[in-house]
Amino acid sequence: MNRQALTALLWLVATTAPAGAVDSPPGNAASGSIVGGYELPAIGLAADGRVLTADNRRKSLYELMGDKPVLLSFIYTTCSDAGGCPLATQVLHKISRRLQARPALQDQVRMLTLSFNPQHDTPQVMREYAASIDSGKLDWQFLTTASEQDLQPILDGYRQPVQKLYDSQGRFTGGYSHLLRVYLIDAGLKIRNIYSTDFLNADAVIRDIETLLAVPVPKTAAPAVAAVDRYRPGDDKSNYRQPDYRTRSVALAQRQGQAADLLAYAQSPPLGLPALPSPADNPPTSEKIALGRKLFYDRRLSLNNTFSCAMCHIPEQGFANNEMATAVGVEGRTVRRNAPTLYNVGYARLLFHDGRENSLEQQVWGPLLARNEMANPSIGFVVDKIRASADYRGLFEQAFHKPAGMETIGQALASYERTLNAADSAFDRWYFGKQAAALSAPAQKGYALFTGKAGCSACHGIQENYALFTDQQRHNTGIGYRQAIQPAGRKQRLQLAPGVFADVDGDVLRAVAAPRPGDLGYYEISQNPADRWAYKTPSLRNIALTAPYMHDGSLSTLEEVLQFYNQGGAANENLSPLLRPLHLNGQETAELLAFLESLTGGNVEKLVADGYAAPVGEAQ
Amino acid sequence: MNQTNLTKRPVNRLAAAMLTALLGAAALPSSADETCASPYMPRITGQEDFVYIWTLGVEGLGDEQDKLVTVDVNPKSAHYGKVVASLSVGGRNEAHHSDFTDDRKYLWAGGLDTNKIFVFDVHSDPAKPRLHKVITDFVAKSGGVVGPHSLYALPGRMLITGLSNSKDHGGRTAVVEYNSAGEYMATRWVPTDSDLQGAVKTGQFADGYNYDVRALPRRNLLLTSSFTGWSNYMMDFGKMLGDAEAMKRFGNTMVQWNLHTLQPQKVFDVPGAPLEIRCAWGSNHNYCFTSTALTSKIWLIYEDDQGQWQAKAVADIGDPAKIPLPVDISIASDDKTLWVNTFMDGKTRAFDISDPFNPKQVFEQKIGAQVNMVSSSWDGKRLYYTSSLLANWDKKGADNEQFLKGYAWDGKSLKQQFAIDFTGEKLGRAHQMRFGAYSLYNRQPSPAASAETGKL
Repeated sequence: MNRQALTALLWLVATTAPAGAVDSPPGNAASGSIVGGYELPAIGLAADGRVLTADNRRKSLYELMGDKPVLLSFIYTTCSDAGGCPLATQVLHKISRRLQARPALQDQVRMLTLSFNPQHDTPQVMREYAASIDSGKLDWQFLTTASEQDLQPILDGYRQPVQKLYDSQGRFTGGYSHLLRVYLIDAGLKIRNIYSTDFLNADAVIRDIETLLAVPVPKTAAPAVAAVDRYRPGDDKSNYRQPDYRTRSVALAQRQGQAADLLAYAQSPPLGLPALPSPADNPPTSEKIALGRKLFYDRRLSLNNTFSCAMCHIPEQGFANNEMATAVGVEGRTVRRNAPTLYNVGYARLLFHDGRENSLEQQVWGPLLARNEMANPSIGFVVDKIRASADYRGLFEQAFHKPAGMETIGQALASYERTLNAADSAFDRWYFGKQAAALSAPAQKGYALFTGKAGCSACHGIQENYALFTDQQRHNTGIGYRQAIQPAGRKQRLQLAPGVFADVDGDVLRAVAAPRPGDLGYYEISQNPADRWAYKTPSLRNIALTAPYMHDGSLSTLEEVLQFYNQGGAANENLSPLLRPLHLNGQETAELLAFLESLTGGNVEKLVADGYAAPVGEAQ
Repeated sequence: MNQTNLTKRPVNRLAAAMLTALLGAAALPSSADETCASPYMPRITGQEDFVYIWTLGVEGLGDEQDKLVTVDVNPKSAHYGKVVASLSVGGRNEAHHSDFTDDRKYLWAGGLDTNKIFVFDVHSDPAKPRLHKVITDFVAKSGGVVGPHSLYALPGRMLITGLSNSKDHGGRTAVVEYNSAGEYMATRWVPTDSDLQGAVKTGQFADGYNYDVRALPRRNLLLTSSFTGWSNYMMDFGKMLGDAEAMKRFGNTMVQWNLHTLQPQKVFDVPGAPLEIRCAWGSNHNYCFTSTALTSKIWLIYEDDQGQWQAKAVADIGDPAKIPLPVDISIASDDKTLWVNTFMDGKTRAFDISDPFNPKQVFEQKIGAQVNMVSSSWDGKRLYYTSSLLANWDKKGADNEQFLKGYAWDGKSLKQQFAIDFTGEKLGRAHQMRFGAYSLYNRQPSPAASAETGKL
């Protein structure tokens, strides 16, 4: 295209009502954006390369960048597609005019337009092209390259796709197929935005330039999260069954905490707990606890780096999981039972719901190796993975004077878990601390029922100087029996949204359900029919935090649990003789509920905050 | 000119047409792809040569791992309707969605479970993609975002919607930006009540959940929808449906973002898990559709007379009381038809959306025992269907059909052209489809292919 035609084209483009991209998102593309009020994260480093200026001087691109923001565009002068280079040039021209109207801005920006047709677009041609554009006082330079060898690395560096177009005889037509792009490059040679033809908009580009030049507007700090919200589950679904449910969600970025003195919780447990039993060969130390904590939150401790212990024992969810009845493991594999809380687990003589394990050091290997939990294929796999992780270097040696191994991994995790002691509850302060006002009147009545008419303390015992709220025994309450024996319902009620339910045919649901695995409780271990559906008595400390309830999470609320026991459990041949209908009235169950809710430890928030502060190990 | 005044638009189009005629150039590059892809990338307007199917490995089937399956779909090819390549990537990652970079040279495919993103080179040999790079630092770099879902091209970068997080495997999550070279750039958390980040909570919900993302650049609009966290999308479907707590963990929101600044502006109540977002193509069609998986409705997100964006339920899909579970949707390039697949009954349904406020179902046909994705050619004449929803959500037993089926659509009837049994071929669960063509890369253009790459 000769210069006259080019000028005519530019005139045409400039004076015709613009098509699509020129003004198409205008006003709009930049609407709602405040200069400096948003971020333009660096997309990458701008590439260097050898170019020729319009006055035929050899330069490197970096000589033309790095001192101030640069708008770099790629064109070829014979380009004739209305939506292509002329369009871009017109928008760039518009930008140049606007910049010139702002004396404070015009010296602070450089525009570079580089041809990708070095064969045709010699410095002379670029000079003519430049002359056809009135760039005024703006620093707008038109560049080309000496050869395609010089050009290609630049195109590659900017990931600027360009293809020569050939005719049916394989001859170069002089045309190119390319995605037109314009690059905004900051003074630090970082690409901060890329604009493509259809969406190249003068307002947005200028707003971005100004944003690069502006002092960033300080981000409005997120409103502080009240303490009451900070340590509860951040995705609150209470009242979700009702149509007037409203979210009270907490930003994950605000899930921040600080480390606690965990050793102190092991050495002097909070009010209401006895001295912590710990094995003679694994007394607690700060180093072991810190190492165990690191392991506990490390998602690499699973076959595919997706599961740490904390994915099921979530600090703000009672070190359990409030969001499902029974757990899922690696690849979503079904776990039969509810993730139990780890609060006060150091006192448990029976581990797992069926009580099949007897020490934490050994227990931790259960989930690590279970195919449907963390799915590690072998002990050696875990040991090798930890030993190969740079961030564990020296930590086992420091804590145990020996390297990571089956024994020390168990000891470290157990050491951390033994610090999760949460007591000093309202009940503890009232009962053991003798603070008369510490426990509400209904909760005091609930205590009387708990130890009296309702008989709860027969299993969930309270001792003279401490209370674990468990007899460390197994019982059959009938909850497991009921699940195993009850026929599948014809219809099932599903919640679809707040206040929205549907009763769906059981057949529809069975079509998408894997068979539910059986669960016979301690019988699976003892092989004694008398132990069918027998599960251990959990502690009731912090029970308000650990919904849903029972070994299979089948009861959603404490009210449902109280109702279950008020009915005497579920009758079956092995039902514990301790269970019987309780004949509690509504007020009495409310009082029992108040009592159960008074068992939340006073140091729970500190333990949750410590969990928030723990590093989360991720694959890199 | 201010484009908020839409009445000027036709004038501009006319002017553009005149300009084009005067210059003797090709048609204006339209901001388009095969009906649902990013407008920032080149599109195939003619016959596609290949469909790339991001396929989930199945234990006990073939090599048991995820793979990118390439099927030749050019009727003029000797291999029409046949698998021509299968590239195993290692592991079962919960292969889900995939999409191209803005130059359409690379296909990014996400794993919702392992959080890996597999980057395939599809331009060097469109018939035989090769694994170019695996991004393994998604969770670590993003600050704990889990479940890379939609991979949406912007110039020089990819927006990746997360579905979950590494703290509780729940639904609060973010949109993550990577540059096209595969390097992390930024994390944009979906607004929650404790930090709305300047967005307006227009209703009862601001759950912070996320699913799909689509842009309407000329309105500076970016929309995200919301699904559920890792715990639910990885859980056995039947187990989850029977779990009252799990059923409370579904998204009920869509978020309007400022496309230019990527800042959230409004949170809309769209209850019942709004999934795929499809924006209209017409130059004055300022609206997008979504469908809610649990509540079985089509929702319209539209710009009102005051220039404000609104969300409105506009149609039921099947009988919502029976939970047909609408999954993928696909909008025709003329904005007249919306295809809606319902997983439970295996049907595809065509809605007439000429009046976007009153979609009317005009056609339905059973595709298989289960169906999830639907992908349409730009001209709407060819539709492709795949079967898998999620590894643990697919039907069990004989109903667990796994397939790619190609159909011809003439506006009245849908006729099957070919079908590939992904179980019989020992491939796995067929999920996301993306189209490939030689002509996108000026490589071995087959005579029937006519791809446009925004010729300039």
